[in-house]
Amino acid sequence: MRSLLLDRASFWYPATESPTLRDVSLDVAQGEVVALVGALGAGASTLLLLAADLAPRVTGGRLAGSVARRDRSGIVLPTPWTQVSGMAFTVWDEIAFGPANLAWPAHEIARQVDRALEQLQLAPLASRDPATLSGGELQRVIIAAILAMDPGLVLFDEPAAELDADGAGILWRLIRLLAREGKAVLLATSALDALPDVADRVVWLEGGAIRAVGTPDLLADVATCDAGLGTSIATVWRAAGLPAPYPLTVAQAVRGWR
Amino acid sequence: MSRLHPYTLLAIAGALPAFAWILPAPSGGTWTAAVALVLTLTPGESPGLTGTGASSGWRARLIVLRTAVVTAAPFWLFLLLLHDVPTTIAIGLRITTMVASFVWLVAALAPARLVEAMVASGWSASVAYLLAATLSAVPMLKARAQRIVEAQRCRGLSPRGGVAARMRALRALALPLVLSALHEVDERALALETRGLVPGIRRTPLAPPPDSAVERAARWVLLVACLFALVRRFTVPGVS
Repeated sequence: MRSLLLDRASFWYPATESPTLRDVSLDVAQGEVVALVGALGAGASTLLLLAADLAPRVTGGRLAGSVARRDRSGIVLPTPWTQVSGMAFTVWDEIAFGPANLAWPAHEIARQVDRALEQLQLAPLASRDPATLSGGELQRVIIAAILAMDPGLVLFDEPAAELDADGAGILWRLIRLLAREGKAVLLATSALDALPDVADRVVWLEGGAIRAVGTPDLLADVATCDAGLGTSIATVWRAAGLPAPYPLTVAQAVRGWR
Repeated sequence: MSRLHPYTLLAIAGALPAFAWILPAPSGGTWTAAVALVLTLTPGESPGLTGTGASSGWRARLIVLRTAVVTAAPFWLFLLLLHDVPTTIAIGLRITTMVASFVWLVAALAPARLVEAMVASGWSASVAYLLAATLSAVPMLKARAQRIVEAQRCRGLSPRGGVAARMRALRALALPLVLSALHEVDERALALETRGLVPGIRRTPLAPPPDSAVERAARWVLLVACLFALVRRFTVPGVS
């Protein structure tokens, strides 16, 4: 079942003449992970704001086409320090900020917060002051804060940007878990090497329009590698002058080499 | 003091300036300014203006007092340029009371406790957040300004020296401070929206601060005393 449907959506930010998104049609089903890839300025963040119902409602601007959402959405923005409520003494309180705004009963808030703490392996930090956390810890807290609100459609904008390798590993496993629970996940990321294991579909955005849609194999395509959007292995294979098809992962490269 | 109910802290911080302006000068202002300055020496709760309000140490309290005095000092200078000495003292004490009360409130009142108290008494969460954010804006801007100063120092700008050097440093501080604050407002609005803080919501209070009958009574006493002093000022001859 579709959780999000964009039909020929174009979007203009306020006081701009050319659209940031042009004729984008995309659907994300429940239980599916869709990754947006593209160069800077390709429109991935704007597409997420559109999906989160923040654009144009909060950002202003103009939308043409339609955006339909079946589920409540939650978005993790790329800078964790601007997403902290500033109203919490502890990490637990920070994560509870969103669920409390949904006016849930206290026992349900506690259940969701404890679950999110466990999912992000944040239980040891539960009583820490959010102001004392590192960037990576804060990013995990913000992700937990969004998940504690139990959104059906989860949107991530560069979620691994502040995370170390361990933190990123926890995140990618969690995203697959969210999909197994039936949530729809749409993420914009430049961590291309993680996508073969995480994403069901990859959407290549260029200049605000969809250039290609496909399985993660798209990240080993000649065209995507030419645009700098291939996985590390595909890029190295190509740089070495080895012939296409390029391998997507290390395992594929080993098989191809033999 | 910081464990008092947020409304009690607000009532004290509001009553002191009210008394300062209602009671006869300069004795009224002297008392209220003295009380407000003494209050700045009580242990803080929120990070406050200085970033040290949560500490109960004397050093942190002295920093709060210094912040109040340093903030009030320019007003005295301007008053002295514009008025005679008695008027300067009369108005200066009143302004000092206002400044010290606000500085103490920022140091003593954690915005989160104010939000919890307001939500528990039926206010909309977005209105409560707006008020609390006003209190937390000062320490946040101060911390950001400190980071900008450090960054500018790394690039060779010295915020010390003569007036001209300080003015150059001020420009290099103010522009990125204002622009980055404006930029962050956009992102913060998006983040708060996605975390459910939308106009008109009724938030579940997580840990509403206890409000004792004694504190409620104290707040009423402060209000009645203010009104009494106001009425007396306009009705009793010779009180001005």
